Amino acid sequence: MVENKSLEEEDNQGSSRRDFLKKTSVMTAIALTPAAAIKASDLKLDEKLADALEQVPLSIDINGQHHDLKVEPRLTLLDLLREKLRLTGTKKGCDQGQCGACTVHIDGVRTNSCLTLAVMHDGARITTIEGLATGNQLHPMQEAFIKHDGFQCGYCTPGQIMSAVACINEGHAGSEKEIREFMSGNICRCGAYANIVNAIQEVKAGGSRA
Amino acid sequence: MQYRKLKLEVAVHNFQYTRAKNAAGAIAELSKNPAAKLVAGGTNLIDLMKYGVMAPDRLVDINRLSYNAIQKESGVLSIGATVTNSVAAANEMVLQYQPLLSQAMLAGASPQLRNKATMGGNLLQRTRCPYFYDISEPCNKREPGTGCGALKGYNRMHAIFGASDACIAVNPSDMNVALVALDASVQVTGPKGKRNIPIAEFHRLPGKHPELDNTLDRREVITGLLIPDNAFSKHTTYLKVRDRASYAFALISVAVALEMEETTEGTTIKEVHLAMGGVAHKPWRLTAAEQLLKGKKATVENFKMAAELAMQGAKSYGHNDFKLKLAPNSIVQALKTASGIKA
Amino acid sequence: MGKKHLENADMAKAISRVDGRAKVTGAAKYAAEVQLQDLTYAVLVGSTIAQGIITKIDTQKAEWAPGVIAVISHLNTPGVPEYKLQNQDVIQKQLRVFDDANIYYNGQPVAVVIADTLERAQYGASLVSVTYKKEQHVSNLEDNLSRAVVPKKAKADPRGFTSDFVRGKAGAYLDAEVQVVEEYIQPSEVHHPMELHSIIASWEGNDKLTLVDKTQGSQQTQASIAKSFQLKPENVKVVATYVGGAFGSALRVWPHEIVAILAAKKVQKPVKLVLSRGQMSYMVGYRPYTLQKVSLGASKDGKLVGISHESYGKTSMYEEFTENVLQMTRMMYDVPNIDTKYRIVPLNVSTPAPMRGPGEATGSFALECAMDELSYKLNMDPIALRLVNYAGQDPDKLLPWSSNYLKDCYRLGAEKIGWNNRKAEAGTVQEGEWKVGYGVATGTFGAFRSAATIKATYKADGTLLLQSAIADIGPGTGTAMTSIAAENLGIDPSLITFQLGNSSFPKAPMQGGSNSVATVGSAVVAACTNLKVELAKRAAKQKQEWNNAVPANIQLKGNELVNSDDTASKVKLVSLFTEGGLTELVIEGSAAQGDERNKYSFYSYSVHFIEAHVHELTGVVRIKNAVSVVDCGTIVSPKTARSQLMGGIVGGIGMALMEEAVIDDRTGRTINASFGDYHVPVNADIPQMEMLFVNEKDPYLNPMGSKGLGEVVIIGVAPAVANAVYNATGKRIRHLPITPDKLI
Repeated sequence: MVENKSLEEEDNQGSSRRDFLKKTSVMTAIALTPAAAIKASDLKLDEKLADALEQVPLSIDINGQHHDLKVEPRLTLLDLLREKLRLTGTKKGCDQGQCGACTVHIDGVRTNSCLTLAVMHDGARITTIEGLATGNQLHPMQEAFIKHDGFQCGYCTPGQIMSAVACINEGHAGSEKEIREFMSGNICRCGAYANIVNAIQEVKAGGSRA
Repeated sequence: MQYRKLKLEVAVHNFQYTRAKNAAGAIAELSKNPAAKLVAGGTNLIDLMKYGVMAPDRLVDINRLSYNAIQKESGVLSIGATVTNSVAAANEMVLQYQPLLSQAMLAGASPQLRNKATMGGNLLQRTRCPYFYDISEPCNKREPGTGCGALKGYNRMHAIFGASDACIAVNPSDMNVALVALDASVQVTGPKGKRNIPIAEFHRLPGKHPELDNTLDRREVITGLLIPDNAFSKHTTYLKVRDRASYAFALISVAVALEMEETTEGTTIKEVHLAMGGVAHKPWRLTAAEQLLKGKKATVENFKMAAELAMQGAKSYGHNDFKLKLAPNSIVQALKTASGIKA
Repeated sequence: MGKKHLENADMAKAISRVDGRAKVTGAAKYAAEVQLQDLTYAVLVGSTIAQGIITKIDTQKAEWAPGVIAVISHLNTPGVPEYKLQNQDVIQKQLRVFDDANIYYNGQPVAVVIADTLERAQYGASLVSVTYKKEQHVSNLEDNLSRAVVPKKAKADPRGFTSDFVRGKAGAYLDAEVQVVEEYIQPSEVHHPMELHSIIASWEGNDKLTLVDKTQGSQQTQASIAKSFQLKPENVKVVATYVGGAFGSALRVWPHEIVAILAAKKVQKPVKLVLSRGQMSYMVGYRPYTLQKVSLGASKDGKLVGISHESYGKTSMYEEFTENVLQMTRMMYDVPNIDTKYRIVPLNVSTPAPMRGPGEATGSFALECAMDELSYKLNMDPIALRLVNYAGQDPDKLLPWSSNYLKDCYRLGAEKIGWNNRKAEAGTVQEGEWKVGYGVATGTFGAFRSAATIKATYKADGTLLLQSAIADIGPGTGTAMTSIAAENLGIDPSLITFQLGNSSFPKAPMQGGSNSVATVGSAVVAACTNLKVELAKRAAKQKQEWNNAVPANIQLKGNELVNSDDTASKVKLVSLFTEGGLTELVIEGSAAQGDERNKYSFYSYSVHFIEAHVHELTGVVRIKNAVSVVDCGTIVSPKTARSQLMGGIVGGIGMALMEEAVIDDRTGRTINASFGDYHVPVNADIPQMEMLFVNEKDPYLNPMGSKGLGEVVIIGVAPAVANAVYNATGKRIRHLPITPDKLI
């Protein structure tokens, strides 16, 4: 068992909001003198200061639309999509790279958007499920998923479809066995795997619109 | 009275972020700020930051560094540090000259993660020990001096070789196991210039300092991997035994590289390299087993003898007792597959 | 006569999911995805001890962190009014959120941080420090069997499946010529639906509340929350339009939902709270760790003489969780002597929840493995053994089956899997490095219906809107209801819209216990019938013949109302709207259970066949083929029904081979609280499978002829896998999951 008294004691040393603020990354982010920081805190400018200083510029293309943004470095690409840009088609299933629900294409490459920071993709071209169809015309993979019932609850589906499109593009849809292995980064708890494999095989064969 | 830090997943303090233009810039950042970390793919580091296991003040993005080439020169294959696992695994030269490396990488993680994970980053992949990941639990690797939660805890995934009372964690990487079998070396550059670290000396055993995974200086930058030519390409196998068919860490993995020779006595083993994963704090080279097999006929009996020899000194901790049997079985199986013999 | 049963190929032609387009385009909005103005984010802080008292919570750092709006704990909670009431239900006693300083399990919510962004709330939560006075906890079942109790529920229902029960003579197996006496362990299993449990709570004044919530019952959540916060039910609106799986985890209100509502009250803004995948492991229930002792006795010809079956399952310190582990033992086979004993063991763990095929799946694992063990002792084919003991009526209730096509299930499945290839002696078939085996097991689950109402809005343009509060957690309820209405009315499914998942819509049960189609489908039939009667009444004003029309013969063909008894009387549908200048007809239909349960015993059945390959050196198990045959009455929506069965097999393979939530008993903490460490099947684990339905009508449960499907599909899969592994290796694994370490 871990005894950790020091932290507890430190909590009670009459600390004030501005003492605390001095320690945050806001202050270390810039060469602001402690005096200036304290003044800012006393003027209750700290929230604005935090906003201004903790954010960095990000220029990114999402589904063909250009965005010039300011974001905190800790913001993941997934949370940028879901919480800031309201592109909720990309799903959060674990936030730890262990389920594949958040799969998007970054410059055409399938990636877990939960384990990458938005700021790491300045200048990148992102495609999400919302950008897959052409107008009202569904992508063949979307059609094949409907036809083969490649889902039940639908929550893993956008990630499955983005992964499936990439699986074919990568050349990893050569056989049922290869598809199963190269689609194993996308968990489906409803268990639609066999239907997903059938959908991919049909698109690979070019027959989904029949 | 008990005081324990709270476990909280997905909590990241707001660090600073900068992009390095070149290695010198990255080294300067690391030298200036002891709490700075490099980030490339980020698939392990960002995960650990969400769990609160690692909390760098500054992330230095090295994705724009020009270590993205795969080249073959004078008998050595070199792979840049920022090449992703997916790109390396599918590369023609890797497939032709070092298929074992490709097999091992493809056995790891998922296609999406391999698309992000880099060669340099994978070398630094940290253990998956649940006590390391849960910041409310004691862990000498995460917080030296707090004890080892796994030693008398749930240690099914843990080490059977080279562990210490301070730490029984294992290195989780598949790529690293192949690199050890292939005698690779790690190219690094740092404040004191460039150096090559043989892979066997790169990862550490825990000893009294499990907080140190490897021998890299914290101001050094990995720039690439070097793998010397060999005659193994026809007889390599990476066997990974796990709890499900894909997307899971190894219970046991075995990398086998064989050079076979037809002699008057039949099919014999001219050269053999063997390494195991899921058994130690570093990829575990099976030197004694290699010695035994060299020049011997490829038979199951010989494979069993080699496996038995390989297990000398193994020690289990309760939940991982099964590895004492699964490991030698896996060695035999991997040798059978690599050599192509049936019985 | 052609075959009636449905195979894979038959089902491909059926209608596709009505919400398919929304789901494949990302347009479907799940609970955390609904956009509201001024939304704030809440992140839960969980305890790190399993038993004790909070002595101090330091929230100052968190409160000072940029963007943090509030931190709530037991020290400053706005309070839940229900907690102050007397005479609460002693059995279903919820954890009282932030009510006092007591800790009952590791991970229990102790505080919540609300901030203006998710990142700031997450970081704020990491700054809360809690000090505890730790007390001795208990979390291991086997070590604490002495704490086992008879559930209070059993006293209220002496004939129920949790009460001590004897039919004939107790312990009669001891007198039998052949006996099997074994213990089986089902470890804790976590639902882990792909969608994280999420809720957005917003107050309007002090007495109106809107929840966008992940729930399997919009109206049940409405009622529960209204009670907790002492609000008028009509002032609580619950929206659950899309639910990303649940499998039982969203059958009740959990602490995090109460927290979100408290938080929204405190900050006077809408609050979104999403559990982490780790929190999903212990905050929204799980299939409880259960130890069972099964004793079978049979004569040499295989006839069962007696069964004794005991079950010990985990529950929490504050609430009694029970499930029907022993139901199948009571009714499945024709046995003169049965005794059962059900116990629960209160431990420092959170309360379990029904997980797909709940207790029946756990019970079936023990009973159907024991039956397989008996078959080897008797040197008798396992199917033959089951047929010898086939029960011609319900031996528990002494009522005839409403329908029972179990024998067809055995026959169809045996043909499809190639049961003839199975060798009676275990461990004798080898293909290369792999040992090959076949296994079979049976599943059963009660078939139910309850009460529901459908509101139907039929428009002059020929479109039909149907509304129900029912949730759809994935099976395709909207699709099935659309199929029922389309067939009943004779109109094209594309003209029908089925809206669901909203407490403002007409009455519906929770989506659980496999009763959605039977219950809501019956209301759809009632609404369609009422609509046809109303249209006929209107048609009669044009042509008298319509006065005699029987609803079953009325169809809405093309743009005409047609009576199949009298095709000459057809009238233009649009002409029926002209009277009164109406543009739409709004009609309700209701249906409820009758007295059928007094006359018949209602069950669905499944028989699962598995071909397993086990690697001789590494102990790795691969499922090479799976064939499942289900008797669940008439199939109303073949394509989605097939997927549901497929999902049940996959869930059962997970249960059999890899799923196990592990607690470190030193701390009471869940050690594998992630998708990386808690394994569920991935694509590479799952072969192409054959899903078959007997597709014979049940005459008594509902007008469609259907029985339940969602639960029975998983029940029996795990024992079929275990039995196949035994047939392949000669190794009997009685403690799930069957991981490689157990087979080397």
